[in-house]
Amino acid sequence: MGLKIVVMIKQVPDSQEVVIDPVTFTLNRSAARNVINPADENAIEAALRIKDKLPDTHITVITMGPPFAETALLDAMARGVDDGLLVSDRAFAGADTYPTGLTLAATITKIGDVDMIFAGEESTDSSTGHVGPGVAEFLGIEQASYTSNSWIEDGYVYAERELEDGIETVKMKPPSLITVVTNANVPRNATLRMKIDAIRKGIKTWTLADIELKPEWVGLKGSPTVVKSMRTMNEKKREGKKFKAGEMDKFVDELVSKGILKL
Amino acid sequence: MSEFDVIVVGAGPAGASAAIKLASAKVNVLLVDRADPPGSKNVSGGVLWGDSLTQVAPDWEKGPVERYVEAKGVSFLTKDSRISLDFRSKKFGEYKSGYTVLRTKFDAWLAKKAKDSGVMLVSGVTVDKIAMKDGKAVGVEQGGETITSDAVILAEGANSRIAYDSGLKRKPTDRNTALGVKEIIKLPEKTITERFGLTSPKMGFASEFVLGFLEGGVRAGGFLYTNKESLSIGAVISMAELRKNNKTYSFNVIEQFKEHPFVAPLLEGGRVEEYSAHLVPEGGISADSLNGNGYMIAGDAAGFTFSNGLVLQGMNYAIVSGIVAAESFLEKKEKGIQAGANFANYTENLSKTFVMKDMMNFKGIDKLTWSKYVHQTLPSIAEEAMLNMFSENGQPKKHLYKILTKSMSSHEESKLGMAMELLKMLRRM
Repeated sequence: MGLKIVVMIKQVPDSQEVVIDPVTFTLNRSAARNVINPADENAIEAALRIKDKLPDTHITVITMGPPFAETALLDAMARGVDDGLLVSDRAFAGADTYPTGLTLAATITKIGDVDMIFAGEESTDSSTGHVGPGVAEFLGIEQASYTSNSWIEDGYVYAERELEDGIETVKMKPPSLITVVTNANVPRNATLRMKIDAIRKGIKTWTLADIELKPEWVGLKGSPTVVKSMRTMNEKKREGKKFKAGEMDKFVDELVSKGILKL
Repeated sequence: MSEFDVIVVGAGPAGASAAIKLASAKVNVLLVDRADPPGSKNVSGGVLWGDSLTQVAPDWEKGPVERYVEAKGVSFLTKDSRISLDFRSKKFGEYKSGYTVLRTKFDAWLAKKAKDSGVMLVSGVTVDKIAMKDGKAVGVEQGGETITSDAVILAEGANSRIAYDSGLKRKPTDRNTALGVKEIIKLPEKTITERFGLTSPKMGFASEFVLGFLEGGVRAGGFLYTNKESLSIGAVISMAELRKNNKTYSFNVIEQFKEHPFVAPLLEGGRVEEYSAHLVPEGGISADSLNGNGYMIAGDAAGFTFSNGLVLQGMNYAIVSGIVAAESFLEKKEKGIQAGANFANYTENLSKTFVMKDMMNFKGIDKLTWSKYVHQTLPSIAEEAMLNMFSENGQPKKHLYKILTKSMSSHEESKLGMAMELLKMLRRM
């Protein structure tokens, strides 16, 4: 029996295409296309590299999200992941990172006998970095966050964490969870053949009923976060004065007269 | 047995129309596009003329369209003047004109339509070439793997890399290629309706421009179309012009167009939201053969665009050619198709439509539309004549004929030569 790996991914609006509405100052996501969260692409690749070495490894990619998150799962499958599982239910709407972690942990428990779990370090649309570590805590398993490399040796999971003063290598007993930093590796491209096969295979969908959690534990109801207020910082208007080369004296005079520079 | 009945390469108007037509006849179709979302790399001026799309998407007019063209213009620009024909008509209800469209929205909508009608849609992957076996197209190759099909419909667009690499089409020459550059300029809906004097926010203006005033005598055409909340403005420059002297840059051309004294006020207060560039097929059919064993070429890839200086069209030709390609496959299928069959019936069927008729009737019109006569001589004669006609300087008035002949005689060409050119032009257009 080979290894059983789960990769947790999130579909996010392409950050390069998200624009700020000039009137309401809110993020306009509708103009942006949906992509796999960049760090999650690295997590998928990290899992696939283990499968490259141990071909009888079985990888399931999971996401909690709306039905259109199917495209992210199919994209992952087209890169070589075996199965895609969408956990989708109206009851999950409005979840903060706490019930999201709980929901995913319950999903992994339901999948059963998982040896390794991969996730991206954080998502580009909320940047909390909570969910991966949260899942490890809910499951009560070991974890290594912000890793750039990982492998299996003698039945142990090894992961490298790039720290300020060197690389820390962590040895963990499976099952364990690893979060992967953005750009840890170069994600592989899907081929036409694999894309066709992924579409033919399709994804599985589970609802709240499948993962056996109480409705009050998930979604908005299960979220402890309360947003008190939100503000947009206005850009400070600057004078933006320009000086030509050779006008150094004028420039210094200006700085002195404004009290920015003291002689 | 092949994996698919038909593989359609390219999810633009031609490819998507072909795929929908096939899927609705229960044909097993794969539609592949290099962009994700599909069609997001596609560019066109932005008016879909006619209603050919009704055949495959009856509800398209309620879909991703911007404004219905009730006002159609043609303008000649000289350095200081704009000479325009501005035709507006309530009769554009019974006489079909076209809708302005934004391709990112439009193509995504059409691709989804294809998916919903049962097409397998794969986006974000570029097909390498057509898989050939014993001189027959038997599918497509990508990443070293072959996906097989009984037929391939190649609708990959103006930059037909697959057709070149598969030896189905010769590399483009300067004569059959132009470069289009385009900007989308955001403006409020109300401003557009008022500024262009349109009768409602659903109605639009579309105009072609002959840009005779460009620095260095560069020959280029321009266009300006109104969308719901934006303008599509662009220029089409012939490759020969760009090649002639290395000082001509496409972005300078569009900038000069935008800064023209009688164009700039139309764009006033707008913000550039998008810019793009794309090759434009010129001079008619560019493929050596529109069909062969196991394949058909449709849309821009075949060279199906039309321009006579007064109108610029392409998407309608693409749609019709895509539909005819699908029909030609269905015709063969009824008789029991073999993989790699020859689709001579495609060229035959197409020759009964306006697509092929226009291509034949207007062959060589590009020589005229890019001529110095159209770009410089005619506009400057017209400018001089208009100034004489519409100004008041206390002198006795002259007959129009006198004004025209006087304006003509200030040019180096003979009057007779110019008259002949004009006649030729009218006949060809």
